[in-house]
Amino acid sequence: MPEINYYKMPDESDPKRIPSIIYGSQLIEDNSPSDYPSAAWVVPRKIIPKKAHYKNTAFVNQEEFETSITDLPENQDPITQTTLLKREEDQVQELIFRIKKSKSICYRESLANRLLTLFNDAKEEDPDCLGIAAKSLRNFNNFLYLYTNLNCPTISLTPDYNIYASWKGEQGRVFSLHFLPNEDVRFVIFKPNDRHPERKIRVSGIATTDVLMETVMSYRIEEWIAE
Amino acid sequence: MKGDQIPDPDHIARFCRPLQVEDGQIQATAFMLRSNEPSLSVNWLEFLNCSNRDSEINEIRNVYAAKLSIGARAKIAVLNVGEVREKILTKSPDRRKIEVLHDPDPIKDGLPDPSHSGIYNLKQDDELIAELILETVREAYLARH
Repeated sequence: MPEINYYKMPDESDPKRIPSIIYGSQLIEDNSPSDYPSAAWVVPRKIIPKKAHYKNTAFVNQEEFETSITDLPENQDPITQTTLLKREEDQVQELIFRIKKSKSICYRESLANRLLTLFNDAKEEDPDCLGIAAKSLRNFNNFLYLYTNLNCPTISLTPDYNIYASWKGEQGRVFSLHFLPNEDVRFVIFKPNDRHPERKIRVSGIATTDVLMETVMSYRIEEWIAE
Repeated sequence: MKGDQIPDPDHIARFCRPLQVEDGQIQATAFMLRSNEPSLSVNWLEFLNCSNRDSEINEIRNVYAAKLSIGARAKIAVLNVGEVREKILTKSPDRRKIEVLHDPDPIKDGLPDPSHSGIYNLKQDDELIAELILETVREAYLARH
């Protein structure tokens, strides 16, 4: 019997394909910037409050929270390339700081340190680069708040400085997520084929962050990447 | 010669940036294309005519040092050409037939890279193929001398 090996194409017409940025009614912890080496969070921001509702249950963080979404640079006054880069860097540092201070992420300290290391490595390699793509990091941040019971993934950066999170398990299990800047996530799953132990199931696809774990539920990923 | 197919028994080295390595382990992101990149850059080890793998790796380190900024955690992944081609052909959803072609870099600023080669027929959204390539990494070395 052949291996199950298919590619799920994105369905742009799917009504479930809703924005995955999360809004709520309470501020997440973001109130003690004094121990962090950046002034990113004191820069005045234009805040756009919005609300969205999600039906995720099994994996979803049940805490209510609100995250302030900084206005995008393209919506602001005319700016230079340098200013744009600086603003994106500030957003990245702000998001890393939020992760570091988030009580709902049990591995927050190590994860924030890893992200800072990646940011610094990227800047060391090329001072004019993004470091980490802010929109990709925001997408990843939203994922972390939605699914708080997952083990800490291995984090690396794609050539476009997007976040790539990966979990590896026994028998060649792989669950990898590429957090795109547009709130989509491209995923890869490798797992043993239970009926044919000598073969593997390999699947890739794309989904918005908020429906990702529902989308891959049939592959029982949570059995080996969740606490 | 430019465009030659690298034989299946031969080996290629891929430079893995520190951004693509965690705890010394190379990640699949090391095998992803940048936007507008036509092929995945590699170096053909047998082309260097060295007597053993250590000499080949030292030669590759010299090439990288002349061309790239090498972070302390950067790595060199060594792959077998035939194994990569076979794995992608048989395990990718679209049975992708990649090509590994010699693509020597011309002399720029006195820094030739005659063993430079490329893995062709990859796409920007090839996360699954990057994970397959990662599974074929045979050896890994620090990229810095």
